[in-house]
Amino acid sequence: MASWTWFHRLGSPPYIYSLAARLTPWFAWPAAALILGGLYGGLVLAPPDYQQGDGFRIIYVHAPSAWMSLMVYMTMAISAGVGLIWRMKVAHAVAASCAPIGASFTFCALVTGSLWGQPMWGTFWEWDPRLTSELILLFLYLGYMGLRSAMEDVQRADRSSAVLAVVGIVNVPIIHYSVTWWKSLHQAPSVMKLARPAMPPSMLIPLLMMLLGFTLFFVAVLLVRLRGEVLSRERSASWIREAVSP
Amino acid sequence: MSEFLDMGGYAAYVWPSYGLTLVVVVLNIVWARRLLARSREEARRRLAMRVGGDT
Repeated sequence: MASWTWFHRLGSPPYIYSLAARLTPWFAWPAAALILGGLYGGLVLAPPDYQQGDGFRIIYVHAPSAWMSLMVYMTMAISAGVGLIWRMKVAHAVAASCAPIGASFTFCALVTGSLWGQPMWGTFWEWDPRLTSELILLFLYLGYMGLRSAMEDVQRADRSSAVLAVVGIVNVPIIHYSVTWWKSLHQAPSVMKLARPAMPPSMLIPLLMMLLGFTLFFVAVLLVRLRGEVLSRERSASWIREAVSP
Repeated sequence: MSEFLDMGGYAAYVWPSYGLTLVVVVLNIVWARRLLARSREEARRRLAMRVGGDT
């Protein structure tokens, strides 16, 4: 029994609302510090790439955005699945909070990738497996948000959009492995080879700082959105009085 | 400084990428705060209506 109490507390809106409020600064400030440090390291300290010169510095905003697009989608789809299976309102609220964050960073990944592709590949866009599957990810996010906003009733919106989010998971491994499964214009991953990193530490450390900083930033934004989503799902509870009292 | 801004000739690609990312980060903060403020406003209105109905 005792091992389940944490799960029940996580399902309780007042607990989540106050917990989210208390946790937000613990993610927001480290995120700001890591991103500022990563920017300085990436723009100033890291040496130019031997092939791409200073153009490679786009990686410090492109890779974190692309990472966000996938990580946020996984968070959204898993929460949506938990919401469907255990009928947990808070899990649906997490999923709904993820979508606009994920969509905006997917858009950012596509545009910064395009700005990187033009000087390096000679084209802004190519119907390449990696690029196409990332574009489909943007459409999944937009479809999810469109479906939600088309439904007046929050519970119906939660359930229908959750099905879409869970089904859309098939696209995630396609994006991730697209550069290894097919011949792609896109370069192979340079971070995930921990045994033999493709970058010297002066290039790699700022990138890791940006990746971690963006991840913490996502959690901070998610926590703020989650409070709004939890509050708007609550119809009768008396704790609302406490939550909205200035 | 101008050498830094020139980005080895890639300024036209590097700076718009960083600029867009900054915009996306700032928009996420603004959107999240606006969503929370709006939900609080709406919850306050619901409460006021209920109190009004009770008395």
